[in-house]
Amino acid sequence: MEPAFELFDHTADMGLRVFAPTLAQLIDPAGQALYAVIGELAAGEEAREFEFDSRGSAAALLLRDYLTELLILFERESRIVVSPRVSAFDEGRLAVRGQVHRVDEARSVYNREVKAITYHELDIRRERGGYVATVIVDI
Amino acid sequence: MSDAYHGPLERIDDHRWRIPRSYKPGMRVDGLIYADRALVEAIKQDKSPEQVANVACLPGIVRYSLAMPDIHWGYGFCIGGVAATDPAQGGVISPGGVGYDINCGVRLIRTNLTFADVKPRLQALVDTLFKTVPCGVGKGGIVKFNKSELRELMSEGSPFVVRRGLGWQSDIECTEAHGRIADAEPGLVSERALERGSDQCGTLGSGNHFLEVQVVEKVDDAQAAAAMGLVEGGVTVMIHSGSRGLGYQVCEDALKALHNVPEKYGIDLPDKQLVCAPVDSPEGRQYLGAMRAAANFAWCNRQIMTHLARQAFADLFGQPAERLGMHLVYDVAHNIAKMEPYEVDGRTCELCVHRKGATRAFPPGHPELPARYRTVGQPVLVPGDMGRASYVLVGQPGAMEHTFGSSCHGAGRRMSRGAAIRASKGRSIHRELLDRGVFARARGRTGLEEEQPDAYKDVVQVVSVLHSAGISRRVAKLRPVGVIKG
Repeated sequence: MEPAFELFDHTADMGLRVFAPTLAQLIDPAGQALYAVIGELAAGEEAREFEFDSRGSAAALLLRDYLTELLILFERESRIVVSPRVSAFDEGRLAVRGQVHRVDEARSVYNREVKAITYHELDIRRERGGYVATVIVDI
Repeated sequence: MSDAYHGPLERIDDHRWRIPRSYKPGMRVDGLIYADRALVEAIKQDKSPEQVANVACLPGIVRYSLAMPDIHWGYGFCIGGVAATDPAQGGVISPGGVGYDINCGVRLIRTNLTFADVKPRLQALVDTLFKTVPCGVGKGGIVKFNKSELRELMSEGSPFVVRRGLGWQSDIECTEAHGRIADAEPGLVSERALERGSDQCGTLGSGNHFLEVQVVEKVDDAQAAAAMGLVEGGVTVMIHSGSRGLGYQVCEDALKALHNVPEKYGIDLPDKQLVCAPVDSPEGRQYLGAMRAAANFAWCNRQIMTHLARQAFADLFGQPAERLGMHLVYDVAHNIAKMEPYEVDGRTCELCVHRKGATRAFPPGHPELPARYRTVGQPVLVPGDMGRASYVLVGQPGAMEHTFGSSCHGAGRRMSRGAAIRASKGRSIHRELLDRGVFARARGRTGLEEEQPDAYKDVVQVVSVLHSAGISRRVAKLRPVGVIKG
């Protein structure tokens, strides 16, 4: 199973389905899936280091929290995280580092605003020798 | 993904369908869905009736778990849901019963202009509104507030921004709750929520939010229309938006804070997304305080956009907004929880009424109505879609008897966003809208496709159910002619 994502329909909102051979490899395509809902976001100049480290929740909840961080970073600062490197992801901890880049407005196209990463049908399950994550975002 | 509902839906009469309490263990009351036969077939195509049954399990729920004809699948609660809980009976407050966009709502502004005045300059008007009212992804507001000002704004609601010259005194009178719910606790709103809201007050957002220029196509109730200043051929402006990132964050914070609270109070829930706390508990009061603050922010948001819309009209038509008669008809919240008194078993109870995708619809004579609407009832604003129509209704006595003073909030989606985009392939929605006489501008690339008229149920059908059921009466039909979307 190659890391990948697809977007699926959910009445008024949208769903992300993310595939990867390992839990850690879910992180990059999950972020790309979120950005794909928002539009085609081109990375501009690098701004700073990104660090996310959260503990004490189930893996699906940690993934949701990570995506919420990306959403707020985009909403507040118009910045995106590229090349995330995962040092830990299990049922209890997610630790990610990466680079925060400004969105290059001239090369980006926006589709829609995401209000929130919901708990609705939130899930990570083992399937076909890898992992499949399901996340629904509120539009 | 969109599994159909296969449980019971018993026909009570031409406009009501019951999910009996016996359907699933834990239901404390029946579910009751307002719909006609055609709508109910569509409603059964997703899980929203199951969500009506789940809400019926909430502690302290009174009479019914209700849903309006624009019901569709939501998170925990369905969209179009109404649930009243009694704090004296252990009744709960649930953030899922309000939604992420706290006090998402609609307002309507009337004008002295006729369509004949506007038609030759319609494109210029829409362009001016598009430039003046910030909309779409990442667009910050023109008016900035620091954190201290934001806290004041959340405590005082609309009067705070009106005092700064961003509205008229009469706007406050014509806003639900006068644009301010008491007992808001801005101190309970997180720093992150404040950051998300700091430059978003006075911005439209995207998704289904919009600003529309409309024409009154048909008046059904001359007395009520006269009270609202609506005449056939007259031009109106409708604004649909909510509490922006600040409200989303208040909901996000509450869902986390309440995660383990049902267990603490021994509350067994059929769906984790119904997380809740007793109204009369520290956790319940905390959410209510923050939710009210976000609701007050939303009223300020729509108030500032009203000011900007007035500016755009004044600039284009070369007359001050006062001369153009741009009075606020009304502003209604459709994602909110409020304490309201109702008769239950012969006694007056203060109930916590959740309206998630449902509009307050108080009848004539209700003491909360401004004097100008006391004899006709509260205006209920029901946006349809950007190609067909929206409606102005008024609340009826039936709403107090049957739906905790509530009516529908819109047409309700019938098509997912993806399906709407697929259905647009090879078509120009912009062109099709033009052919219908609607000039639209959208900032998002897929905004018009996702929000195209076919994506929504026919609002005429939705409104007719509630008109026939004596919940809210038709006053006027509004036809869109200009649209701006995020």
